[in-house]
Amino acid sequence: MEKEPLSLYELNALVRQALNESLPDTYWIQAELSDVRSNATGHCYLEFIQKDARGNNLIAKARGTIWANVYRMLKPYFEESTGQAFVSGIKVMVEVTVEFHELYGFSLTVVDIDPTYTLGDMARKRREILKQLEEEGVLTLNKELEMPMLAQRIAVISSSSAAGYGDFCRQLEENPYGFVFYPRLFPALMQGNQVEESVINALNAVNDHRDDFDVVVIIRGGGATSDLSGFDTYLLAANCAQFPLPIITGIGHERDDTVLDSIAHTRVKTPTAAAQFLITHMHDAAVSLEELAQTLISSVSVRMDKEHSRLAELTNRLPLVIKNRTIREGYLLEQLIQKINVGIARSLTNKQHRLMLLEQRVNDASPERLLKKGFSITLKDGKAVTDSTQLKAGDVITTRLAKGEVTSEVK
Amino acid sequence: MAEKKESYAEAMAKLEKIVSAVEKDELDIDQLSQKLKEAQKLVSFCKEKLYKADEEIKKIMEGEGN
Repeated sequence: MEKEPLSLYELNALVRQALNESLPDTYWIQAELSDVRSNATGHCYLEFIQKDARGNNLIAKARGTIWANVYRMLKPYFEESTGQAFVSGIKVMVEVTVEFHELYGFSLTVVDIDPTYTLGDMARKRREILKQLEEEGVLTLNKELEMPMLAQRIAVISSSSAAGYGDFCRQLEENPYGFVFYPRLFPALMQGNQVEESVINALNAVNDHRDDFDVVVIIRGGGATSDLSGFDTYLLAANCAQFPLPIITGIGHERDDTVLDSIAHTRVKTPTAAAQFLITHMHDAAVSLEELAQTLISSVSVRMDKEHSRLAELTNRLPLVIKNRTIREGYLLEQLIQKINVGIARSLTNKQHRLMLLEQRVNDASPERLLKKGFSITLKDGKAVTDSTQLKAGDVITTRLAKGEVTSEVK
Repeated sequence: MAEKKESYAEAMAKLEKIVSAVEKDELDIDQLSQKLKEAQKLVSFCKEKLYKADEEIKKIMEGEGN
């Protein structure tokens, strides 16, 4: 039989026609949203996913489109009704038409939404996991760990091929302060169904050398949101919550939040942000060291100033004390000298006076005075005669008068 | 290694103690210069940790377990 091959386009056109004919209506479906993105033209592109009963493996997935004219109304309507952003991870009930395009393939076009049906599997599962961890008393264990003053030795759990790890290391290496970091990679799969097992294995490897590390960083570059499902498992969350080192996560982007993020010591959005966090932490340590050193210098200098002024004060007081003392001594000396002078003078006067009296008396007692009054002295052999018995007849005596002498013979 | 990690915190604690003693005027002048020397050593030890790569740690990070 001769083959009459169809072109791919012809085949796809057949599929399209078959779909249009067999699924002509609109259908209400329940599915979880994933990877919701809207572009500048206002169209929204997303993925619908469904998981198995355990909730870990995807069992269905379809691309979806909400055209701008619908999305403009649908999004605010949904968000106002539910109080929840129209984002990945929520479960929705939407009315769709089934489309097939020769080039773009299978997709669902959303025409309406039922906002009463809001809480998706993912979100509910997260809550349940967190609740279970809380009941077990481990929910906040990792958060309660103290980040070491120096978080330099970093166990990085990441895919070695992912850009995220490179960004992280580069950011650390090029930190503007010149801090030293020691990152070491513990490779793990960061997407797909083996995330849980792979990351837990990496954690165990880190745990074997836990004394060699200050902190664990789990990072992953951006990717489809549905790929994050591996980080929402109980086992991984329980392992991380009870891990002995603080864990920093940087596994998603702004719109993503996982159970792992909820239990981690610190969660940031990206690998770069994780590096920045560590740099800032080091910077804080450096600043407090610098402050301490400054405080020390200033308090020592305050202390030294104080001692200097104490010394200066003493030095200043010293001459004054000496001067005062000298003056006082001088004064005493002066007084003493004066006293001595006075004493000497008085003593001299006394003596003079006595001398004068003596002189007077001496003068009064002199023989010349008596001779002048008419008394005379009788001498025999040069000696004064005071008794007549001293003399006998024939003795020659001399009589001394005030003026001249007379010699006579005793009869 | 755990010991090394500890010692930064220890150094900081010692440093804080010295600073507070100086601030509170608890040291006499003879002690002051000695404590100041000790503090200087602690500061440079801490700075070394922050800014200088420790070859020993580097070796552990690169070598073991890969």
